[in-house]
Amino acid sequence: MNLLKVNDLRVDLMTTGGIVEAVRGVSFHIDRGETVTIIGESGSGKSTTAMAILRLLPDDLAVRAGEAQIAGQDVLGPRTVINKLRGREVALIPQDPMTALNPVFTIGRQMVEAIRIKDRKLGRAAAQKRAIELMDAVHIRNPEQQLKAYPHQLSGGMLQRVLIAMAVSTDADLIVADEPTLALDVTVQAGILDLLLEMQERRGVGILLITHDLGVARLMSDRVYVMNRGEFVEGGDVIEIVERPEQAYTQRLLAAIPELGPWEDPALTGGAA
Amino acid sequence: MTCGPSRWSGPDTVSYVLKRLGQTVLTAFLTILTVFVLLRLAPGDPAYNYAPPNPSTEQLEAIRKQFGLDQPLLQQFWTFLSNLFHGDVGTSFQFKQPALQVVMDRLPYTITLAIAAIVVTTIIAVPLGVWMARRNNTAPELGANIATIAGQSMPDFWIGFVLLIIFAVNLSWFQPSGFATWGELVLPTATIAILQIALISRLVRREMVANLAAPYITVARSRGVPERDLTWKYAFANSAIPVVTALGTRFAAMLNGVVIVEVVFKWPGVGALVVDALQRRDFPLIQATVLVTVILALVVQLAVDLVYPILDPRVRLGEASS
Repeated sequence: MNLLKVNDLRVDLMTTGGIVEAVRGVSFHIDRGETVTIIGESGSGKSTTAMAILRLLPDDLAVRAGEAQIAGQDVLGPRTVINKLRGREVALIPQDPMTALNPVFTIGRQMVEAIRIKDRKLGRAAAQKRAIELMDAVHIRNPEQQLKAYPHQLSGGMLQRVLIAMAVSTDADLIVADEPTLALDVTVQAGILDLLLEMQERRGVGILLITHDLGVARLMSDRVYVMNRGEFVEGGDVIEIVERPEQAYTQRLLAAIPELGPWEDPALTGGAA
Repeated sequence: MTCGPSRWSGPDTVSYVLKRLGQTVLTAFLTILTVFVLLRLAPGDPAYNYAPPNPSTEQLEAIRKQFGLDQPLLQQFWTFLSNLFHGDVGTSFQFKQPALQVVMDRLPYTITLAIAAIVVTTIIAVPLGVWMARRNNTAPELGANIATIAGQSMPDFWIGFVLLIIFAVNLSWFQPSGFATWGELVLPTATIAILQIALISRLVRREMVANLAAPYITVARSRGVPERDLTWKYAFANSAIPVVTALGTRFAAMLNGVVIVEVVFKWPGVGALVVDALQRRDFPLIQATVLVTVILALVVQLAVDLVYPILDPRVRLGEASS
């Protein structure tokens, strides 16, 4: 049984001008310990695919056809199914950590809430203790103190670590990471990706990674799907795709990465630029 | 809230409250100065209001002298201020007793009505607004939406008369006017509350719709947070500041006397009193009313501001609120 199995998923976008096909029949699967990446430019439908699987689409987007199963359970049918899976079998790491937490409650209160959704019988004190352990696991210093802080008092990188800790707290086997480093400084990005890999190694979770960044995809993925205009144009082993892209779109995507060439300073060589 | 009072302990809060109280005194002074001058600039002579029919010049002079209106304006204001300093706001022309006392006698009625109205408004408008936000773009919500538009479009004197005709005249459930038993509180409260419920519920709905679409709601939903908690602990907790601000402003305005409703229901409050005082050019009574209501309104505003840091940890007293 696959951790996640998606078959011919189709999502429509309702606009005032009519219906636009945002996702046009994508199929893939994820197994334990695997990272599968959907890569594409903005508007390609990659985040929509992830959100459709989690049933978190905004009102103007709707799944029209297809199948999606998490841990063998059909999540596109009655909402009760996905409601039971959220926070237990599947967790989300969001795009922008700065807006992903309730601004009026402390980090600790929200972590304790997440922990107790997974484990209702756990008392407040025990949940608090578990929260400190989790903060420790994502390498946050002074966890006791940070738990008393409000989201606006922490940096974006710190908040993303908190959100990863929350995802880990669910013991979910499948983690959906929707551009987890998009809103972060480059210097912080590497740390967050390292942390994700560390969590995966330790717990063997499957990760569905959404990104527009080939560098991130290459570092993280086992398999990668290149998405354009709602369709997978190419998919397979990440090394294969990066080294021997078959499709013109993938080639253009690869060509768009800036490379560090030899540095010639016009002031030193004396020539005009 | 987990750590309430600690958010406004310390010297910052003390100096903030002192600063605000200083502003209150200044605002009250400027308001009373404006009212004082405007009353005397307005055409018409109060002496006529208190003289017998066809008064002689001597009679009018005597009345002006009695009221101190024969003095130059600056002199009058100076007398007023020095008396105010000793707690004397002046003697009402018509009641022949301290104006402040007259206002204070009426104030409990206005405060009672204002509290009743704001409590009823809050109890109905908040759940209604939250419900409309959750059911946004459905048929029942459209019905509620139309009802609230109607509620905020009907003039209060008209609502008052309709309620009077139905419940006091035809059904005889309540006395039509005055305040002898608590039953008489119902119709004036309902008259005020209908408009306020319409306004506040629409505000709650608007704030809630915006906050329910916020990213932290989606992320919390992905963690399995139940919908009821998403509604109240997440979206509503983040909508509280504008709602509390609006309720505070409405309450402060009601304390100034709900003039039309008080007149329609012959409610013995400050609003009806000030209308009467204006018609009779009772300068000291008008000044006393303005002074009391301005201070009340400012104190309510200060109380609302002090609640902000409890509602939102990002707000620090003395800084501009976001």
